Amino acid sequence: MAYKPQYYAGNTIVAQNRRNHMSNNVQKVREISDEDLTACLGHRAPGSDYPSTHPPLAEMGEPDCPIRQIVTPTAGTAAGDRVRYVQWADSMYNAPAVPYWRSYHAAMNHRGVDPGTLSGRQVVEARERDMEAVAKEQMETDMTCPGLAGLRGATVHGHSCRLQEDGVMFDMIDRRRLEGDVIIQDKDQVGVPLDRKVNLGKPMTTAEANKKTTFYRVGNVAYRDDPEAIEWCQKVWELRTIYGYQPK
Amino acid sequence: MAHYNFDTEVNAKKHFITAMEVKYGKEWGSNKQADDIQATTAKYLRLGTAQNPRKMEMAKIGAEITKKRGLQAYDPLLHLAGIPLGQRQLTPYTLGGTDIVCDGDDLHYVNNAAMQQEWDDIRRTCVVGLDLAHETLEKRLGKEVTPESINYYLEVLNHAMPGAAIVQEHMVETHPAMVDDCYVKVFTGDDALKDELDPQFVIDVDKMFRPDHAAQIKASMGKASFQAVHIPTVVSRTADGGQTSRWMAMQVGMSFISAYHMCAGEAAVADLAFTAKHAGLIEMSEMLPARRARGPNEPGGLSFGHMCDIVQTSRKFRDDPCKIALETCAAAMMLYDQIWLGGYMSGGVGFTMYATAAYTNNTVDDNLYADTEHGWDTFGTSIGNCKEPTIDIIRDIGTWGALYGLELYENYPTALEDHFGGSQRATVISTATGAACAITTGNSNAGLSAWYLSMYLHKEAHGRLGFFGYDLQDQCGATNVFSYQSDEGLLAEMRGANYPNYAMNVGHQGGYTTVCTGGYTGRGDGFAINPLVKTCFADDLMNFDFVEVRECFGKGALREYDRCAGERAFVIPAK
Repeated sequence: MAYKPQYYAGNTIVAQNRRNHMSNNVQKVREISDEDLTACLGHRAPGSDYPSTHPPLAEMGEPDCPIRQIVTPTAGTAAGDRVRYVQWADSMYNAPAVPYWRSYHAAMNHRGVDPGTLSGRQVVEARERDMEAVAKEQMETDMTCPGLAGLRGATVHGHSCRLQEDGVMFDMIDRRRLEGDVIIQDKDQVGVPLDRKVNLGKPMTTAEANKKTTFYRVGNVAYRDDPEAIEWCQKVWELRTIYGYQPK
Repeated sequence: MAHYNFDTEVNAKKHFITAMEVKYGKEWGSNKQADDIQATTAKYLRLGTAQNPRKMEMAKIGAEITKKRGLQAYDPLLHLAGIPLGQRQLTPYTLGGTDIVCDGDDLHYVNNAAMQQEWDDIRRTCVVGLDLAHETLEKRLGKEVTPESINYYLEVLNHAMPGAAIVQEHMVETHPAMVDDCYVKVFTGDDALKDELDPQFVIDVDKMFRPDHAAQIKASMGKASFQAVHIPTVVSRTADGGQTSRWMAMQVGMSFISAYHMCAGEAAVADLAFTAKHAGLIEMSEMLPARRARGPNEPGGLSFGHMCDIVQTSRKFRDDPCKIALETCAAAMMLYDQIWLGGYMSGGVGFTMYATAAYTNNTVDDNLYADTEHGWDTFGTSIGNCKEPTIDIIRDIGTWGALYGLELYENYPTALEDHFGGSQRATVISTATGAACAITTGNSNAGLSAWYLSMYLHKEAHGRLGFFGYDLQDQCGATNVFSYQSDEGLLAEMRGANYPNYAMNVGHQGGYTTVCTGGYTGRGDGFAINPLVKTCFADDLMNFDFVEVRECFGKGALREYDRCAGERAFVIPAK
């Protein structure tokens, strides 16, 4: 590529973090084992084989076609994995990720993913091992603070709630909590108890979260303090409006 | 109970803060709530439903039902396999613009008789022209139509409309105690005719509206005369909105036969029937396409403009366009979200949460008064003195309102927690921003345009908006906001719940109605799009109070609303 893509407007740290997420310029800050990842997701027993919905593609005798010639199947697709999900809730108190940027990160940096974006949660559905690759990357990097974000398949309430007194995002069903100086998780995405306590690592300090966040807010980086980001958004709105109007 | 006339941004802010302090600064039940409304952390005591008297009442009655019928009923411990609601504080709601405080449960339409009556009163209403029928009587049958004959016809009709016999022998009839909410009045732009009619039957435009609004409405309707018909609530509840015009037309036809001594089977009756059923009929809402399977006078066909005109706040608060918009917002949010999308279209109970954000705790109020004052101050506008919309004006108000609304949530974490879903917040901010732009420009489509800019900015600032489907229309709405081409765009007042893109997404339709309200109130007009609908509901005999909508909802929540109709207590064993 002859040029470096400019994914997002803005001159603040928040805008830069957004560009980092889009271009996968994220830093690995913790280690999550495959077994712990599988336990937290709750789709299969840790260490068990991936269940499949069809035989490996190589054994299926698929018809020849131009699309198949140019698209290499993902690992999960080639193996016939089920489609499963990873879903996050991110606090509005300066969690590193926000739902749209989790979706952009997944869609721009991974193949075979189906991101869904809501206000209180963000889901990626994909073939199971492909989804796990996305989930592992998001869990292990500075895209995620375990105190300000959580894996939540259901009962996701909390992204907009005030933080607990210990600085952890509220979770109605208490899937993870601060123990000592680390966050542990002992229930899976939908709240089924685990046979282990998964160490998710240290939560970010307020100062760290303020530097890593992709969320504009007063008290840190207010949206109005990033005029380039606002003017770009206004321009998109104006062009769409005028194009739709087309007064001839 | 008091209700407030905010008038200014400062007063709105004061009452927003009071509502937050009531909600988060005081105990409600035994929830132990006493928080600083601007703190970013809170104690989560996980007291469950035991903290809330209403939940406890529900649990007690649920257990009694289970025992009585021998079949499982409501039990809060069945929530999440034993984790009941109330892991965070169960907080109360202040009805916007009032001092009424209630539980959220009491704002579900099933639990709120006033909300039900709002919809009943719309669904059971239609307007029918009198002039075509009078022409048939005079020109085809040679009958003499005079004020005296019209008065007699209206006496007959008010006997017959609830379901009484008027021509035949040995007929069954509805019992008056079951249908006492049913009646017919008339209104006209012809002052000479109005003066000749018996006042009991007349909606007097000059008495019900301010002089400038009355003049505008009368000029719009001309010398024509119309009947405002409200069939019995119990009838339209048993059938559907399509029953309203059918029931009305049958009784109108029979009353003409009786009052004007016609032959019951003569062909001219068909002309009168056609007039009542079609040619002279104005339904409150249009029939929907077959795939929606709804008749006329069902909420999906109710245009935003008609909804604006059904609400009557403009008759009493002309100089406070924000108040008019907020009362309309409440009525429309409840109907379109809680009943139409939540009941007819989707099912489920969650839709109440979308709507309450728009009519409780004075949050939209604070945004709207601030946005409007910004528009007026920046562009030197006022009621009836609007500025022609331009991209620059819309960009200014759209941006200012979006940032104000976003920062309100950032500065008041309790407000953010109150509106715990992004769809709630997006609707609140865009409703206020869009309505303020409409008030400043007097143009509802300009208001919609500001709405869409607000949505764009909100999504970019917080990295989230609503849910998949919620966001769709806000991402593509800007491209059709000024288009009037078929299937692409329309005058905002003529858009409605079934408009393309608007048909399935919660939280929007009541907001769009509020924006439309801003258009006509900004211009200082007496009605939004249909003077007949506005006049039809300008009637204190209506069961629901379409002037003070939120106060009426509050009375329903407190179980103090006593204007219910369609009750069956008269014909069932006393409990």
